[in-house]
Amino acid sequence: MQLHSAQFPVLSLILLVCLAGLAAVVLLPAEKKQAVKYVSTVCSAVTLGLSVYVFVAYDRALGGMQFVEHLQWAPSLGVSYINGVDGFSVPLLLLTGIVFFTGVLTMWEHDLRVKEFFAMFILLVTGVFGMFMALDLFFLFVWYDVSLFPMYLLIVIWGSTNREYGALKLTLFLLAGSALILPGIVYLVAESGMGTFSLPALVNNADFSPFAQKLAFFLFYVGFGILAGVWPFHTWSPAGHVAAPTAVSMLHAGVLMKIGAFGILRVGMFLCPEGWAFWAPVMALLATIGIVYGALAGLRQTDLKFVIGYSSVSHMGVVGLGLAAMTVDGVNGAVFQMFAHGVMTALFFSAVGYIYDKTHERKFANLGGLSHVMPVAGGYFILAALTGIGVPCLASFWAELLVLLAAFDVYPVYGAVAVSALAINALFILRVVEKTCFGPVNPKWEHLPDVSFGLGMPRLVLAGVIVIFGIMPFLMYETIQSASMLLISGLP
Amino acid sequence: MIVPYTHVILLASLLFLTGMICTVLRRNLIMLLLGLEIMLNAAAVAFVGAGLHLQQIEGQAAALFILAVAAAEVAVGLALIVCIYRQTGTLDPECIESDVCELE
Amino acid sequence: MPGASVISETWLWAGWAAAAAPFAAFVLILFLLRRRPGAAAAVSLAAVATSMVFALCLLVCCVDMETPLRSVVTWMISGDTVISAGVHLDGLSLLMLAVVCGICLLVQVYSLGYMAGDPGFARYYAFMSLFAGAMIFLVLAPGLVQLYIFWELVGLSSYLLIGFWFEKFSASRAGKKAFVMTRLGDVAFLAGLLLLLVRGGVMDIAALSNGAAGLSSGMITVSAVLIFGGVIGKSAQFPLMTWLPDAMEGPTPVSALLHSATMVAAGVFLIARMFPFFSQSDAAMTFLLAVGTVSMLMSATMAMVSRDIKQVWAYSTISQLGFMLMALAAGGYFAGVFHLFTHAGFKALLFLCAGMLIHAFHSNDMFVIGQGGARGLKIPMLCMAVGAAALSGIWPFSGFASKEAVLATLVSLENPAWLIAGLAGVFLTAYYTFRLVFIIVFPAGRGQTRAEDPARGVAYAYGAMAWPVILLAFATLVLGFLAAPIRHWLAAGAGAHEAVHGPAWLAPLSLGLVFAAIAVAWVEFGRKNASQTGFVERVRVVAELFARRWYLDDIWGWAVSRLLDRGAAEACRQADNRVIDGFVHSLAGAAVASGRVLARGHRVMIQARLMIMFAVVFGLTCIMLIWG
Repeated sequence: MQLHSAQFPVLSLILLVCLAGLAAVVLLPAEKKQAVKYVSTVCSAVTLGLSVYVFVAYDRALGGMQFVEHLQWAPSLGVSYINGVDGFSVPLLLLTGIVFFTGVLTMWEHDLRVKEFFAMFILLVTGVFGMFMALDLFFLFVWYDVSLFPMYLLIVIWGSTNREYGALKLTLFLLAGSALILPGIVYLVAESGMGTFSLPALVNNADFSPFAQKLAFFLFYVGFGILAGVWPFHTWSPAGHVAAPTAVSMLHAGVLMKIGAFGILRVGMFLCPEGWAFWAPVMALLATIGIVYGALAGLRQTDLKFVIGYSSVSHMGVVGLGLAAMTVDGVNGAVFQMFAHGVMTALFFSAVGYIYDKTHERKFANLGGLSHVMPVAGGYFILAALTGIGVPCLASFWAELLVLLAAFDVYPVYGAVAVSALAINALFILRVVEKTCFGPVNPKWEHLPDVSFGLGMPRLVLAGVIVIFGIMPFLMYETIQSASMLLISGLP
Repeated sequence: MIVPYTHVILLASLLFLTGMICTVLRRNLIMLLLGLEIMLNAAAVAFVGAGLHLQQIEGQAAALFILAVAAAEVAVGLALIVCIYRQTGTLDPECIESDVCELE
Repeated sequence: MPGASVISETWLWAGWAAAAAPFAAFVLILFLLRRRPGAAAAVSLAAVATSMVFALCLLVCCVDMETPLRSVVTWMISGDTVISAGVHLDGLSLLMLAVVCGICLLVQVYSLGYMAGDPGFARYYAFMSLFAGAMIFLVLAPGLVQLYIFWELVGLSSYLLIGFWFEKFSASRAGKKAFVMTRLGDVAFLAGLLLLLVRGGVMDIAALSNGAAGLSSGMITVSAVLIFGGVIGKSAQFPLMTWLPDAMEGPTPVSALLHSATMVAAGVFLIARMFPFFSQSDAAMTFLLAVGTVSMLMSATMAMVSRDIKQVWAYSTISQLGFMLMALAAGGYFAGVFHLFTHAGFKALLFLCAGMLIHAFHSNDMFVIGQGGARGLKIPMLCMAVGAAALSGIWPFSGFASKEAVLATLVSLENPAWLIAGLAGVFLTAYYTFRLVFIIVFPAGRGQTRAEDPARGVAYAYGAMAWPVILLAFATLVLGFLAAPIRHWLAAGAGAHEAVHGPAWLAPLSLGLVFAAIAVAWVEFGRKNASQTGFVERVRVVAELFARRWYLDDIWGWAVSRLLDRGAAEACRQADNRVIDGFVHSLAGAAVASGRVLARGHRVMIQARLMIMFAVVFGLTCIMLIWG
């Protein structure tokens, strides 16, 4: 792992901006709701700007870890503060920035305990940013947990349907994951005998035995995999999605699930390549089951958010399948799918959130004809649905293409099964679109307003990102490629 | 070291015992908290003594930590006690428990 | 020669521009002109006219081109996989480009009248532009991945246009059905494509065709059959055919453009494009021949009993696409492609005429239209007669020439069954075509007074609808005589030596069959006091079978609702709720229960507990001191 120091600590700056926003929100009096929203918006806009800067400024030709910052933190414990990004984390930082910004804007009309909501929200995002850029296992784990805890409160306080159940289930599942990750990390650090949590040091110098790698990879795979929605540890995700408020669903499906997959990639695959190779067939099997199973279970849902939740399970299966292929194509596709799926579900949930805000109805059998009433909102919903189906020239297509290509190369049978899931996917997503947006207008909804320009903004940004990366996938692939080539060529 | 190490440890044990008895026997939440504080300080004394004896600075660092923790604990504990007193009108742990301490 | 390269550079730019113009129109309309229908239509028409001009220039200028021109840019690189986009100009793609642009232009002009006053006018033109752009890129694709991408995009625009009147349940449902059924085929296509990419490593159609990929013959057969899956879906062949008749829920111009002339022909185009590649596998070609034949006959029988004018043309589209596939599968490259071109012309013509009638009489039912006095509308009726004659294959209309070429290739096959099937198809085609014509022209109660004025519902924009129809009728008359030059243009591809004319007995035989069919239709529907019931309808079981589309819909419906919905999907949902969540819940329940049990031992006052704790710690310390 090559490290290239930063001229200017832009990564820490992202965290600092988040923390400053958090402090400002906390210090503002609770009555000043508008001020809280403005502060959050500015904070998110600045972080989005910085993450775009990182995306653009990242030197694709150079590759490796860039913008690295290194500070001693607790040398006696072997903990240091190292931040850095490579081709895998740059797209995910960008994704986080986008979802943060659009999430804040989506909640513009939100009115319940505004200050606390945005404080929690920013805290959550800080953890996510930290996780994506941390190169020290200790910090990585801390950020990981920071990004999990606010979730519970966000769902319990501001959630809807069955929120206590959803929040508790989510928290317990994810903590069970943490309980596997921490021993994994400690075990590897102890096994290395180097007394350091620094990921670059461990990757470059440690020589783990095959057994240690297999054991640790298993712990990481299950631990992070729970968050990534790996079948059969996925049931927290639809329940959580359904309960969470719109912006939290966006962040949750859009970014948090990616944290899980990213954890497998960053910790598991970087540290334990032999463990990766050993468990890859299992990963591929579970991922393929997840792809088909998510689509099938989605067919029988009646609640809009449940449908999206299950489609997330299916799409995250694509990520898993790509990672399991252990080829450049597979890893490229998997990381691109993380990005594309993040933006896509964010758009999906924000469109559904708008529909729910106006109708207070999520059973799609009771909706109908919404494209007639609110053509723009319906349009965003349809666009998200089409992305979910994998229509070409929208971002997900390229990811699925590459993952399936890699799967056909390495696991032809799984590849064939996964391809056939595309048809089921199309069936269940289009069914929802038909029931929600098309058909005769339900007179109850006849006078609902369409999305205003302000509320349309975040959706427009998300839709734009989907289309831009759908038409110009090379923008993203060159970045991801710079990391995946190194990772795959470094395999034993 | 002028004071022998054993004496320091003895002092710490005595302090700890005092605190323990206070905690276990007194029927007043404030005294209970006081007992806890005494026990913490006993540990701090032991840390300082051991640090001096072993010529390591960590003992004193730990003592500082304990002071900080104790301060925080007192703050939170007293606040809780005030709350409890306002709600129940008593500081007897047995009375309070018979109302409140039901698992589930 | 620098001069030549500059010129070819120019042609390539023209190709790019032809494809890009409609896309630009799509974006422009979607973002800026949604509320300005007039401007939207103008932009869309301008874009497709631009494409048309480029297409004609290219066609004229590149006639004597010896080698195909191509320009390729890299779209995406990942590892060793390179996905490229580009334009590939050769005889086939240029001819197809001209056909697509021409019909797009005519249909868009026609739509000015047909769609006038519709609230979604701008949206309609946006989607039409999207379709035009995607179709042009599909036609010009040099690589299989690009072809697949735009193949999906035309499917998308088809979905959007079928469901254009989405307030109608049937329309949005038909759109979904079309998308999902073609998707089913596309899944196979994608699998075949990935297989080729993984095993052969090339996506370039030319490279695949000349065997550069070095694939084994088994692999070629497997991937070819998989790719045929996509063709079966898109061209609505057996067993994925039933989406096409339902797709008639869309506006009639859409049916004319997408669901008869161009998009559904994309499957045939794909076969033609990769003809040398597919020819390497006899097994795959035989499979294709069988599929084409079955679809051709089945859909012809369905057309015999339908009362809906658009449905009849839809079935006949499936049937004619089956003809094309038969020709290609039998090795008749020119015959298949030529039939594609002529069919595009006369089927668009038939649909547009039907659209004028539907527009005038507000009904799809041919009996209603006939009784409404459709024979009074001279232009659509005359043009429809021309189209019908071409569809049946009567000299001198274009259908005659192309159908003869198709039959000629079937003659060359060893097994005469295919030829017999083809001739049966000719008979049925002529029968159902003229059944429809006679029903409309000679309605049952004729001679009685017609209450209404035939021009009753005719829209003010009649002119916009009439001119494209007349132009298409003219093309139908002329195209049959252009067989030789078209063959010359296509000669750069394969099949330069195939027979265009069959043995001397073939043309009289097929013409005889056609006239026999027309006679039967006349007896049953045309003459005075005709019963207006076909010979098929007299046997109720058979009529039922044909009317219910050979129960294909029922089979698919059963498969989806029983096997998928209530079977696999329900099983997954139950597994989620019962097994996985059940396990989790029982785990949680166990934790709570054990907590309760343990809590019982803790119901002591806190200080007593503290005392116990201290005692235990003290005891442990003592033990450790003694043991240590």
